[in-house]
Formats: sequence, structure tokens, C-alpha cells
Amino acid sequence: MTPTPAIPAPGRSLWGEAWQRLKARRGIRFCLWILVIYTAAAFFGEAVYWRSRNRDEGPSYQRINMNEAYQRPSVVSHPFARARAELGPAAAWTTVAGEGCRHLFQHPMGTDNLGRDVLQRLTQGARIAFQVGVITSLIAIPIGVILGCLAGYLGGRTDDVIVWLYSTVASMPGLLFILAISMVVGKGLKGVYLGIGLMTWTSLCRLIRAEVMKHKERPYVLAARTLGAGPVRIMFRHILPNVFHIVIIAFSLRFPSAIGTEVFMSFLGIGVQSEPSWGIMISNARLRLWHGMWWEMTFVTLAVFLVVLAFNLVGDALRDALDPRLRAGKR
Amino acid sequence: MGRYALRRLWQLVPTLFGVIVITFILFNVVGGSPATLTLGKNVSPRMLEDFDEQHGFNKPLFFGFWTGTRAYASDRVVPFPPAWRRLPGASVTNGPADRPVLVLEGAGPFEAPVLFALPTNTLYRWTAVCTGTSGATVEAIGPGGALTVSVAVASAGTVPTVFRPRPEPGAGRLVFRPGNGGRIEIQRLILERRMANPFDSQFIHFMSRMARLDFGVSIATGQPVLEMLREGMGPSLALMIPIFTAELLLAVALSLVCAYYRNTAIDRLIVVVSVALMSVNYLVWIVAGQFVFAHKLKWFPLWGFESWRFLLLPWIIGTFSGLGSSVRFYRTIMLDEMYRDYVRTAFAKGLGLRAVLFKHVLKNAMIPIVTNVVMAIPFLYTGSLLLESFFGIPGLGYLSVNALNSLDVDVVRAVVVIGTVLYILANLASDICYALVDPRVRLE
Repeated sequence: MTPTPAIPAPGRSLWGEAWQRLKARRGIRFCLWILVIYTAAAFFGEAVYWRSRNRDEGPSYQRINMNEAYQRPSVVSHPFARARAELGPAAAWTTVAGEGCRHLFQHPMGTDNLGRDVLQRLTQGARIAFQVGVITSLIAIPIGVILGCLAGYLGGRTDDVIVWLYSTVASMPGLLFILAISMVVGKGLKGVYLGIGLMTWTSLCRLIRAEVMKHKERPYVLAARTLGAGPVRIMFRHILPNVFHIVIIAFSLRFPSAIGTEVFMSFLGIGVQSEPSWGIMISNARLRLWHGMWWEMTFVTLAVFLVVLAFNLVGDALRDALDPRLRAGKR
Repeated sequence: MGRYALRRLWQLVPTLFGVIVITFILFNVVGGSPATLTLGKNVSPRMLEDFDEQHGFNKPLFFGFWTGTRAYASDRVVPFPPAWRRLPGASVTNGPADRPVLVLEGAGPFEAPVLFALPTNTLYRWTAVCTGTSGATVEAIGPGGALTVSVAVASAGTVPTVFRPRPEPGAGRLVFRPGNGGRIEIQRLILERRMANPFDSQFIHFMSRMARLDFGVSIATGQPVLEMLREGMGPSLALMIPIFTAELLLAVALSLVCAYYRNTAIDRLIVVVSVALMSVNYLVWIVAGQFVFAHKLKWFPLWGFESWRFLLLPWIIGTFSGLGSSVRFYRTIMLDEMYRDYVRTAFAKGLGLRAVLFKHVLKNAMIPIVTNVVMAIPFLYTGSLLLESFFGIPGLGYLSVNALNSLDVDVVRAVVVIGTVLYILANLASDICYALVDPRVRLE
């Protein structure tokens, strides 16, 4: 008797499978939630920004209120926390019932030297960090993908020129050149976008080029060519979807480094000018840290740390889940 | 081997050329002349022109017979360019295709303004594109004061007259005569300088300066840039070499530990800790380290560069801030090697894990490690931008941050160019090292 061939399990797409792999890990699920919260905060910050702009009034995160300057975070200074420390947990609840929770939500992370709420400013910082991450990706990823596809698929002269271009750009000291670009373009976010965007496309371009070169010889490309598809169609409709996981991985790994660079540039004073970016907050909080105002510094640090950590972990997990080569090599 | 090295050296030429072109585009084309930055805002156009002349910024960018002059700065009519303010009766309105045009009304004559007397040893030429009412003329008057040519302006609504009299030494005068009750609308008015040699361009000037290692003079200190870089190199290297060495040794050791205990709790712990270390912002490392260890605990001096004790804290901070990513990098290399066939053979022969790890794996992993080390050398030279400015170490990082803040273009350009050249050379060195270790590379 011939053995009946085993019926293969219903196939799942690369993306579906990758998503399952990601979801299966509890730590990664947690990181994804962190990213969701940050994204929501960034959108909320954007809404607040536009609302105050449309109403033509000073945004609440910039409003100076000297009466509330140097307020400690309510999470430690709230009557509840004090009562708990002094009287024990049972008495604390009665205090809360007496005073209400209103105060707790007033300045959960305290205020800075001008009485501006730290939490609100952190939200605005998230807005700017995400803007930088997204816009620099919108500059760098198309450059990398298009040049990589062209070089890998067309080969010959085009390849030579593109390889020359990316090896030239890659051989420049990245951070210094980013700073030089933003110095030339002028202080402000535009310089940050252009500097980071124009200097960080090379590694993606190299990866895409190598991958496209491999795919060029695959039967499905040959089939498409036989059917009369032109090079542009083959590159962007047939090959690109098959190498797109590289783009996703590159995006998740470049996002945190773009945030780090923005923080650094804003700290140096050549990044964001009048908005509360995380870098500017660190730069201000640094001086006040010496006077015992620990909360601003602590919360900014935590905010940057959490989002960068979450992105790093998710990026690594994505690479493990999506890169078939690594998957095969895993033992 | 020698031929391989020569071939690689030859391949560097286009990269080097590309770097110089990109630096040129960034600083000269996008950045333009730093004259106003250097001299300040309240200087005469004459001084700006002299500055441009001295620094070669009044030449064409790449090639050309004609180039602009600051004596008449604007080639398009924009609302109230400074030069036109002195013309009584001139006003700006929207002309054809909504481009602003300059309107001259009344009898005139109006003379095209020149902000300062131009040198008479150079040829200049005017170009005026204008329309007007009938009877309106535009005329060129030579340096002697004699009328050279007079042209009737095309009537409004038709193809505009392009008036381009003969180039004159020191620019002749250009006179508009709308006539009584007439008007002239000027669409473009250009003053150009003739180049004796069209190849005498900013790009050639830039290339020759780079070839002579002439990086100019700092705006802020007035010192030659090269001298400043030489002085800054010592402190930068004193800061970076210990950091680099300590980080390398620690990272390789930890990655070997990871490989030794791979897929156990220890391995995972090291990975998690290094990702966490990596995620702490560099700024925070410095700010917190300085605050806690130098300010609160007073274990280290806070700021300055007097003895090696001042470098202790920056060394520690620098080492730990970079450790996370290095450990991850070297761990990947070690684990890559762990799954090679020769490792399996070594195990099959009955060698212990320790022998395999230290005798076989480490030796083979040396190739990427050496590459990485050689490639990192240029960054030792540029130092650390932040560590140096926070701890007051007068190295190249400190210098660069100051230059960025004071818009000291020459210094920034020099640091960028020299950093790039060193990086390219390091690239070459690492390739040659690679070929020395692994003969297969040479045949490629």
C-alpha cells in the first residue's frame, strides 16, 4: 500500500507567520503595547499642538505659571502617598476619599522651573521624536529602496554609480556630517530631517541591492520577464514585495537611532528650537538636577529609555521572525 | 600582495573624489559664502565682496564665463531688494505670470544702481529684460560717459526686450528713460562679471585647497584650523584610546562568555543587559554619571583637563555607554562561528568546549574583530563630541561642538574632511589586513 501523502497544513503568509511569532513572546507583546502607547501620545501631542495653533493661543505645555513652579510629581507628593508613608495603607484610602483624586492628576510628573507640566512636555517630546523617526524614514527608505533595486536589478554602469555613491556616503563620519548638514541648512527640524535622512540610507541600499541580485535569477522573475513585464514592473511589483521584510526590519532598527540623534542634536541646540523636545528637556533638566530637582530628568530619561528599548527589542524580534536566512540558521 | 594593495588604493580614488564633491556641494552650493556669518550683518557690500574675492566665493561654482557680483545682488526682481530702495519712484507689482516686476514711472532717467565702484580691470555686463510704453528707451553709457547704445523698449504685452550692451570694464551705466508719463516694467536685471578663465571655479579652488591641506582660519579664534586640529588631537586620543581598548576587551570577553554559555540563562541575561545598556541615551550616561559620581559622591573631579584623574570618569562613562552594542556585535560574530563545520569537526574529534572556543573560534573570529577595530580608529581621532564638552577636555570633539555652535564653517569642514579621509584609509588598512590573514580575498 502506498502511504497517503501527508496533507500540508494550510499555508500562512510570511507576514502572518511573523506576526504569530511576535505575538507568541510575552516580552515582545509588552514592547508592542509600549509602542502603541507612545504612538497614541505622539498623536495626542500633535492634536494638542494643532488645536492651540488653530485657536491662535499659547499651547498649554508652554504656558508659564510661576505659582506652580518646582512642584514635585504628585505620584510622590500626593496626600495618598504621604498618608501611606505616615499612617499606613488603611488610613491612606480615607485620605484619598477625603481629598479626591483630582490633585493626583494635576501634575503627575511634577512641573519644571517655569511651572510647566512635565507630562505634557514629555508628550510633545514624543510627538517630535516620532515626527523625526517617520520623516527621516520617509527620506532615507525610498532612497535606499529605489537605488538598491536599480543597482541590483540593472547591474552594469548603474550598479557602479550607485555603489560608488553609497560607499562614498558611508565613508563619511555619520554624526559629524549630520551635524554639518543641519548647520548649513540652518537650525531647526528641517536640518535634523535632512541630515539624518540623507546620511542613513546606505546600509538599507546595500542590503536591498544584495537581495535583489539574488532574486533576479529566481524562476518567478524569469517567468515575469517571459510574460513581457518591463524592468520597472519586475523590480517594484515582483521583487520588492519579496524583499520588503528587509525594509520593515531596517525601519524598526533605524527609528530608535533617529530618536537618539534628534535628542542629541536638540541638546546641542541645533535641533528643535522652541518646542519641548526630549533633548531640550534633558538640557534644561540637567542644570536643575544640580539643585535637587530630580523628577524632570528622571522622567525624560525613562521616556527615552522605554521607547528606544521597546524599538530595539521589537526590531530584533522582527528580524528573527522575518529573516528566513536567520531562521534557517537558528539551531 | 603588493598588487592587491595597489588595486585597492586605486579604487579609493573615486570614493575620495566623491567625498570632496559632496563636501563641496554641502558647504559651497548649499551653504554659500560664509561672508555674512564671518563679518557680521552691518558691513558694506564692498567688504563682503572683498571677503568673497579673498576666499574664492565670487567664482562660478563649477564652470562658466560669467558670475555674479554683490554690487547688484539680485538677479530676480523681489519686493524691495536693497539696491532698488534708492531709486525714487520705483515700485514693485505683479507682472506677467504673477512674477513680480519693477515699475519705473515718470520722466526719469533712472539709473541701474551699483552698490560700490567696480574694479576697472574686469569686464562687467548688464542684462535687462523689460517692456514699456511707446517712446521708452534704455541706454548704456560707457565708462567714459559716452552713450554706447540706446534701444527702444518693446511695448507692454509683447515679447520683452532683452537689452544686453557690450561688457565694459567696471560696468558701464544703464539708464532707463520711460519718457514723460510713460513707464517701464523690468522683469529681470542682472549684472555679471566676466571670468578671465572659465575653469577658475570654486570647485577647482576647493580641490586645490584640500590638496594643499589648507583648511583656512577659524572665525572664532583666528587660529589656522590645521593647528587647532593638531592641538586637539592629543587630548582626544588620551580620552578615546583607553575607552576603546577597555570596551574592546570587555566586549570580547563577555561575548565569549555568551558563546560558552549559549542558550542558557547567563547568555540571555547578558543579551538583555546589553540591549538595556544600549537603550540608555548617551546624554543620560554622561549627565547622570557626572551628577552622581563627580557632584554627589565627589569621587572624581568635575571638569577640566589637568591630570589623568580628570580623565577617569569620562573613561568609565565612555566604556560603559558603548559596551551594550559592542557585546551584541561580537556575540553575533562568535555565535556565527560556533555553527561552522570546523567547530563541529573539532567537537567530533573530542575537543572540549574550552579548547574549541579559545583555540578555534576566537582565532577565526579575529578577522571580523580586527576589521571592526581598524574601522574604529578614525573615530578615536574625532573624539567624543559630548564627553569632551561635558568634562572640559580640549579635544577635537569639544572643538567641533564649539565650532557648530559658533557656525565656524572652516573648522567643521576640516574635521569632516579629515575624519572621512582617515576612515577611507582605515577601510583600506582593514582590507589589507583581511587579505594578509585570508589569502582567498586577494583572488577576488
